[in-house]
Amino acid sequence: MAINVLIVDDSSVMRAMILKSLRMSGLPLGETHQSANGQEGLETLNRHWVDLVIADINMPVMTGEEMIDRMKEHPEMKDIPIVVISTEGSETRLEQLQRKGAAFIHKPFSPEKIRDTIKTIMKLGGSDDGTN
Amino acid sequence: MTEQIKETLCRVTGDVLEKLAFIFSFPEEGSEDTDYGSSLAASVSFAGPFTGTLVMAVSDDTLPELTGNMLGLDDSESTTAEQQHDALKELINVVCGNLLPVISGRQSIFNVNAPQIITENIASYLQSISEENGQLRAFAAKLSLDGGECDILLFIKGKFPPEDTE
Ligand SMILES: [Mg+2]
Repeated sequence: MAINVLIVDDSSVMRAMILKSLRMSGLPLGETHQSANGQEGLETLNRHWVDLVIADINMPVMTGEEMIDRMKEHPEMKDIPIVVISTEGSETRLEQLQRKGAAFIHKPFSPEKIRDTIKTIMKLGGSDDGTN
Repeated sequence: MTEQIKETLCRVTGDVLEKLAFIFSFPEEGSEDTDYGSSLAASVSFAGPFTGTLVMAVSDDTLPELTGNMLGLDDSESTTAEQQHDALKELINVVCGNLLPVISGRQSIFNVNAPQIITENIASYLQSISEENGQLRAFAAKLSLDGGECDILLFIKGKFPPEDTE
């Protein structure tokens, strides 16, 4: 199974860093898409089949949180696993996101953290038994 | 208080530079005035339990390497000005996001605006921040990097620390 991923972040450098981490992770990557804000992210989700969304919170035009809310209202998007990668440090806001079912990774992150979080949220099983 | 915040500025910035851009830094003691002539700077403003602006300036000599490291490029590959701007904006964004909870506590909620590259003369920009805001606290720290330096300045408006902070 190849995982199609959408990366939503207003920083092109951060999107490149996340993509690099995904490529290093050994996860079976399929198509990768990039969007610069929540609005563009939703448009990409409308056009392409995506298995995993990785999103920033703080973005112009539409924040990641609003994008997640819109996804939850949409029958075909509501079950797509979401990993939020953000600098957000407020516990209150993190609890809000977790209630919406998103996993959270704090910036700055390590590639291992991204790999492990994706494995957990996508239920990809143990990390030591090689390929699956 | 001032020393504590200065130390926090150094620690958080150093940590972010290391983890995001794979660049080691160490705090410079008794930071003298910087000549910002050969640096690129970005600013980010925030509002929450207190309001203010964070400014980060990195020497022109270090910025290409730092950007290349973030993008995972080889030493021989060059970076565009746009990539360098984007790298500095993301660095200050991450520094700001990590700094505020340390200063204000993890329960605090801040709204952080999009980072901006400072296109005018950096020294006069810093001067104008100080003049626009009567009651302003300023904290500054300097880190030395391999072949360059990084200045980090925190400006806080109004009453600080806020009364309800423990
Ligand atoms: Mg962002």
